[in-house]
Amino acid sequence: MSKSMRRSAFGIVLAALLAFSLCFLSACGSSSSSSDNAATPTSTTPGTIQIFAANSLQKALPLVQALYTQQHPDVKFADTQFKGSGDLVSELQGGAKADLLICASESSMDTANTNGSIEANTRKDMFTNDLVIAEKTGAGYKINSLKDVESAKYAKIAIGQGAAVPAGAYANQALNTIGLYSAADGKTGSYSADFASKVVQDSSVGNVAQHVQSGDCQIGFVYTSDIYRYPGIQVAYKVPANTHKAIVYPGAVCTGSVNAQASQDFLNFCLTNAQAQKIWSEYGFAVK
Amino acid sequence: MTGYRIGHPFRFGFALAFLASALLCAMLLPKVAAAAGADSPLTLAADGSSASYQGWDLAATGFMRANSGTHKVTTLADGKQANPGYRYPVSAKGALCAVVSGTAVIVYLPAASAQLSRTSDGATHSGKADQKPSAKALSDFEQTALKATLEGLDGAASSATSLQSLGLPFVFTDAQRFRYHGLTCLFDQQVEAGSYYVVLKGSASDLEQVQFVDSCLLEPAAQVQVAPAPTGPAALGAFLSSVDLRPLWVSLRTSLAALVLIFVLGLLAAKLTLRVRHRLRAVLDSLFTIPMVLPPTVCGFLLLVVFGNSTPFGRWLEVHGIELVFTWPAAVLAATVVGFPLMFRTVRGAFESLDANLFAAARTLGWGEWRIFLRLMLPLAWPSIAAGTVLAFARALGEFGATLFVAGNYAGVTQTIPIALYYDWMGGDSLTAVFWVVVIILISFVVIALINWYASHSQKWMRPALSGSDLLPLKKPAQTLAASPIKKQAPDGH
Repeated sequence: MSKSMRRSAFGIVLAALLAFSLCFLSACGSSSSSSDNAATPTSTTPGTIQIFAANSLQKALPLVQALYTQQHPDVKFADTQFKGSGDLVSELQGGAKADLLICASESSMDTANTNGSIEANTRKDMFTNDLVIAEKTGAGYKINSLKDVESAKYAKIAIGQGAAVPAGAYANQALNTIGLYSAADGKTGSYSADFASKVVQDSSVGNVAQHVQSGDCQIGFVYTSDIYRYPGIQVAYKVPANTHKAIVYPGAVCTGSVNAQASQDFLNFCLTNAQAQKIWSEYGFAVK
Repeated sequence: MTGYRIGHPFRFGFALAFLASALLCAMLLPKVAAAAGADSPLTLAADGSSASYQGWDLAATGFMRANSGTHKVTTLADGKQANPGYRYPVSAKGALCAVVSGTAVIVYLPAASAQLSRTSDGATHSGKADQKPSAKALSDFEQTALKATLEGLDGAASSATSLQSLGLPFVFTDAQRFRYHGLTCLFDQQVEAGSYYVVLKGSASDLEQVQFVDSCLLEPAAQVQVAPAPTGPAALGAFLSSVDLRPLWVSLRTSLAALVLIFVLGLLAAKLTLRVRHRLRAVLDSLFTIPMVLPPTVCGFLLLVVFGNSTPFGRWLEVHGIELVFTWPAAVLAATVVGFPLMFRTVRGAFESLDANLFAAARTLGWGEWRIFLRLMLPLAWPSIAAGTVLAFARALGEFGATLFVAGNYAGVTQTIPIALYYDWMGGDSLTAVFWVVVIILISFVVIALINWYASHSQKWMRPALSGSDLLPLKKPAQTLAASPIKKQAPDGH
C-alpha cells in the first residue's frame, strides 16, 4: 500500500505498455516485408500500384489488372479498394495512400482535386455508363416512366447514399426532376415526405444491386454495368439520360504516388488496349 | 454433473455446426441441380467459353458477350485518327457474331469458318430482311444446334436479359455487310491491329435498340475440348479449393496479437484500479469499460480521429514514421480496444471478490505486492481470468465496426473474416459469405467447447483451495500454482 509500491506498479505498467508497443511496431514492420503481393497499404510501395476504384468496377477492373500483369510482369497491384467514390475520396483525405483513383462521377473527382488528393494534370475521363432501375430477375414490373417509382408496388426502393455514392447522386438528380428529391445536385437534399419512408439508402451501388437481388428491395437505382456483374437482376427501366448529369468515370494519379508513371501507364492501357476494351464492353462500360 | 457440462455444449455446438454445413450445402444445391439437369444435348464448359451440341460436328469456342459498345475515336497504326462508328468488340477474326437488336437476332456465319452442310432447303431466315439473305441454307438440326449453343453460352455469360428470354427470331447471313431494317451491320471489321469488331450504322434509335452482341468461333467438334463444370461433391471441392483463405489467417493473427495485449494490459489495469484511491478508481473504471458500452463505430471513429492525419497528433505521428491508419497494427489496435473491457471487467470482478484477509496474511509473512499478485491473486482468480481471456478473444475475433473504420478492407492485410463476409455478400458472392459464416460458427464452437472443458478441469483442482478455511488457502494456492494441473496429471497419465 505504500507510495513507492504504487509508483513501482505504475512504472511496470508503463514499461509493459512500452515493450508491447515496440513489439507491435516491429511486428508491423516484419509483417509488411513478409507479405507478398498484398503490400502494406499505407505508403505507396514502389512497383506495387494501389488503386482506389468506384464500387461498380469491382468485377471488371481486376480482370484488366490481371491482363496488365500478364503483359507487364514487373508491375504488381496491391489489394484494390472498391467502395463508393465519396468514401474513397474521404479515405484519401483521411490519410489512406493510393496511386490511382477512379471515381464514378466528375463531382467526386472534383472534391478529390479540391482536397489536393490527385494530380489534376493526370485526370482523364475513362468510361461512360447508364443509370437504370433494376428489378429482381423475373419480377416483371412494368415501369414506363420515372413517375412510376411512386407506385405502391414498390414498398422499398434501394438508392445509393447521395453524398458518398455517385449512382445515388445521379438517381436523386433524376428524382429531383419529378419532385421526389429536393436538391438538383442529388446530394444535399432530402426525399419528399411520402417517398422518404420507402427509400433504403445504401453505402455503395453494389449494396443496392444486392438488396434488389435478395428481394429486400423491389427496385433500385444502379448502373447498366451492375446488371452484368450481379446475378439475378435485370433492367426494369432505363432512366433517361437528360434527367441527370452525364455519367462519366474520371481517373487520376494520386498526389504523392511513388508509382506515378506506372499508374499513368496503366490508366492509358485501360483506355487504349483492345483486350482491355473487350473486358470493359463485357461488363457494360463504354470507353470514352 | 461434469458429464453434463461437457456434453451439453458439445451437443449444442454440433447442432450449430450441422446447421451451418447444411446452409452451405443448400447454397450449393441449385448449382449442382442445374448441372445435374444434363439431359439436354448441350454441354457447357465450366468457364463459359465453349460448348458442344450432341450430334453436331461443330462446336463453339472463345465465346464472349459484349454488353456495351463504344464510339471511341481510335488512333490507327499509321497515326491517323478514325471513328468507324458505333462498334462492339467480337472474340476473334472470322467469328460467328450475333447482334441482338430490338426485333431480331442477326447471326453472321462467316463463310470461311463455318463448314456447315449445304442443303437445298433455303428456309434459313425467319425475319423480314430488307436485303435478300445470302447465307448458306442451314438444316433444321443445324439451326436448332446453333440456337441452343448460342442461348446456352449467352445464358451462362449473363443472368441479365438473356438471348433465350428475349425469344427473338434468328436471321442468318454470311454477308460481311448486312442490312436489317434500318440497321446496317459491318461484320468482321479490323479497326485496330489484331482486334475485330462489328460496326453498326443507322439512326440513333436503331443503334439504341441493339442490346448486346454475342460472338464465338465455330470449329470442328473434335478439336474443341469442353470441360463441363464439376457436379456434386466435386463442385463443393472445387469451391473450397477456390476460396481465398487469407481472411482466416488475418483474423487469427489479429485476434491472437490483440489477445496478448489484452491479457497483459487487462491484468495490469485490473490490478491498478484495485490499488488506487476511490475517486480516481471510478474514473479509470469508466475509462477502461467505455469501449464495451460504446458502439464499435464510435471507437473506430475516435481512433481514426486520433491516429488519422486529419488531426495534429496524427500528423505528428506520421512525421515520426508511425502510420497506423489502414495497416495491420490498426486492426490489432481496434480489436484490442473493443476486447479489453471484457477482460478488465471479468478479472477486476474476480480480484474484488477475493478475501482481503488472504493478502493481509501474506503480507505478515513478508510477501511483496508483486509476489502476492503473481502467486496468490492470479491462481485464485484463474478461472475468471481464463473466462475473461476467452470472452475477449471472441470479441476480438468478431470485431467489425472499429476495424473497418481504422483498418479498412485490405485482402491479406486487414481483411478479417467478418469484414470479408460483409464485402463478399455485398459483392454478390453469397457462397463465400456462407462459407465464412460456417467457419466462424465452427471456430466459436471450438472455443466454447475449450472453455467448458477447461472450466470443468480447472475447477476440479481449484475446489479444495476454495473450500478451505481462511487460513488454509494461504499456502495452498501457492502450492497448487507450482503444481500445475499438467504436472498433477503426469504420474497417472504417463
